[in-house]
Amino acid sequence: MKTTSLFGQAGRISAVAAALTATFAAAETPTLSNPLISAVLDGHYQSEDRILGREKGFGLGETELAISANIDDMFYGKITTVLEVHGSETEVELEEAFIQTLNLPAGMGIRGGRFLSDIGYLNNQHPHTDSFVERPGVYRAFLGSHYFDDGLRFNYLAPTDTYWLLGVEGFSGDSLRAADESGEREYETVGVYTAYTKIGGDIGDSSSWQLGLSYLRNENGRMSAHEEHGHEEGGHAEEEHGHEEHGHSHSAAYTGENMYGADFVFKWAPDGNYKYQHLTVSGEFFRIEDFMPLEEHHEEEGHEEEHGHEGHGKDYMQGWYLSSVYQFSPHWSAGIRYGQVDTQLMHEDHFDAQKLKETDVMLAWHNSHFSTVRLQYTRQDGTNFDGFTDDNIITLQYVMTLGAHGAHQF
Amino acid sequence: MVRISSNWLNASLLTLGLGIVPMASAELNIFACEPEYGAIASELAPNASVYSATTAFQDPHLVQARPSLIAKMRRADLAVCAGAQLEVGWLPMLQMKAANPAMNSTDRGLFFATDHVETLDKLDKVDRSMGDVHAEGNPHVHFSPERLLQVARAMASKMEQLDPDNAAAYQANLKQFEQRWQAAVPQWEADAQELKGKKVIGYHSNYRYLYDWLGVEQTADLEPKPGIPPSSSHLASLLSRAKQGDISAIVVASYQDRRGADWLAERTGLPVVVLPMTVGGDDQSTDMFGLYSSVIGKLKGTVQ
Repeated sequence: MKTTSLFGQAGRISAVAAALTATFAAAETPTLSNPLISAVLDGHYQSEDRILGREKGFGLGETELAISANIDDMFYGKITTVLEVHGSETEVELEEAFIQTLNLPAGMGIRGGRFLSDIGYLNNQHPHTDSFVERPGVYRAFLGSHYFDDGLRFNYLAPTDTYWLLGVEGFSGDSLRAADESGEREYETVGVYTAYTKIGGDIGDSSSWQLGLSYLRNENGRMSAHEEHGHEEGGHAEEEHGHEEHGHSHSAAYTGENMYGADFVFKWAPDGNYKYQHLTVSGEFFRIEDFMPLEEHHEEEGHEEEHGHEGHGKDYMQGWYLSSVYQFSPHWSAGIRYGQVDTQLMHEDHFDAQKLKETDVMLAWHNSHFSTVRLQYTRQDGTNFDGFTDDNIITLQYVMTLGAHGAHQF
Repeated sequence: MVRISSNWLNASLLTLGLGIVPMASAELNIFACEPEYGAIASELAPNASVYSATTAFQDPHLVQARPSLIAKMRRADLAVCAGAQLEVGWLPMLQMKAANPAMNSTDRGLFFATDHVETLDKLDKVDRSMGDVHAEGNPHVHFSPERLLQVARAMASKMEQLDPDNAAAYQANLKQFEQRWQAAVPQWEADAQELKGKKVIGYHSNYRYLYDWLGVEQTADLEPKPGIPPSSSHLASLLSRAKQGDISAIVVASYQDRRGADWLAERTGLPVVVLPMTVGGDDQSTDMFGLYSSVIGKLKGTVQ
């Protein structure tokens, strides 16, 4: 039993004393010799190519290996590596490598390194916790499925009875850069800034909710006018990979200078008991503005640009989805999701409107919390997506986690 | 001297913390992972503000790390939880998100009941193929009257540590609780005499400590493995087990699905009893005393 004198030592004033005396305790009590080590196995068979998503045939999704632990009483650290297979090549990608403060006062927290941005509802969650095979189209188009990057986050949790979180982040923004059409573009080295807020609470014992608003400023997100002609995809951040890379590119396909987002999630379980049945309804909306090349383009080729505006080129791109998943027994869940994305494809001097409508229906079997086998049907209806026709896609997927897997987010 | 400067620092941080009322330090703000620990906290600190993250109708293994809990933990001075990995699926996420340094260390405002008692069924080796088992042993210790008292004593010490100004009050409340508890235990034991040696089928090992105390034997679980819900093949095997005729009842806790139990009851004629898992689980279970009386009363009423 700890005495009051020990409390004095371990008080906020002396981090050193605290590090020496405090036994740091999480429920899983990871220690020096026992950090949490977990792996995620994700594989699938898919009947057709998905627009901005997984390829047809057999394939692996994100095979993930993560290690996390409290570093000391002050810091927590986590490393997540992802193995991705592109055809015959296997790439190792570092998806997370961050430190997080644990002992800052007054509800403050700082995270630094490489981590998932906290904008939106889904973005900061690992894809293996998703209820559908792929992120919604809007995430694949605007955030490279899930946006992680090198940067710094500061957040503040207000001492209110209703959950209220405020946060700002700065990132290198490499994966959200617009294409360099001229080959001479000078990018900002800190390219992306985000700001977000989330509020949430309970309604009785059975229901819980969360609402979020986010803003992402991308200094390198605006497209540049391209000088050589060619049939290039406007704003595609990684031109060189083109269409080969469905499903594995973590670069956003469409970028702009300003992105606004709104999200909500509502969960319900009988008496708040999530063991047997529960319902999750969620939706998000993102809108990108200021993506078209700047004035000099107007001056030089005003006519075409105007044509673009009149004809197809709206000066914004946007997307949204609405998803509902019901776990009707500990072993089974079913869900439906509809989403839409409206994007603009730069084609020489004008923009062509693209539209993707997706309807997903899925049925999942959970042998335990750690193993899921999912059958999903997708109806994708794409307009102006090169090489894609309207498709019915069937995907059979497994997602399994092994090792000491950490707690899930709301 | 360290204490003084630390308090001064705390005070200034609280002022910076935008709207935390300084008088909060006078009465503890307590976050209970489960109602039983909230109930003990209320016995020891009747004026404290106690919030329970779960109810008797919720499986404490499976709780969402939801925004309301993060907000509550953000403002808590003390969190009282079972530990032994019962809350492993959600507490670490709350700790991470609540940004409250006091919640991170058992040297400060974090209290795990199972740190202060000897648990039953500790395991040397844990494998997921064994189901949802805890190496630290069975975490549902609140049905052991002796362990519960040990937990109450440790919790009172924790409260004294966090709020030394009211140390005398916590000690006095503990003494009072101890006396009432020690007076009640022999009565319950006498009352439950007839339960000794009875065999039941349970859903999960929720009442491991209760049965250990009262001499009841849980011969089989409706769950094929801990945390895995009853399957038809497993229920069929229980059916043949039950036909041996030595089992008195099927016991289900207040948050558990009773369909498997009803299926078995229909085919065996065995009675099913739903026991409150914790405080709030039925009308009688308004505190720990009511909970024990209710559980023993209901078991007796069924087993006869």
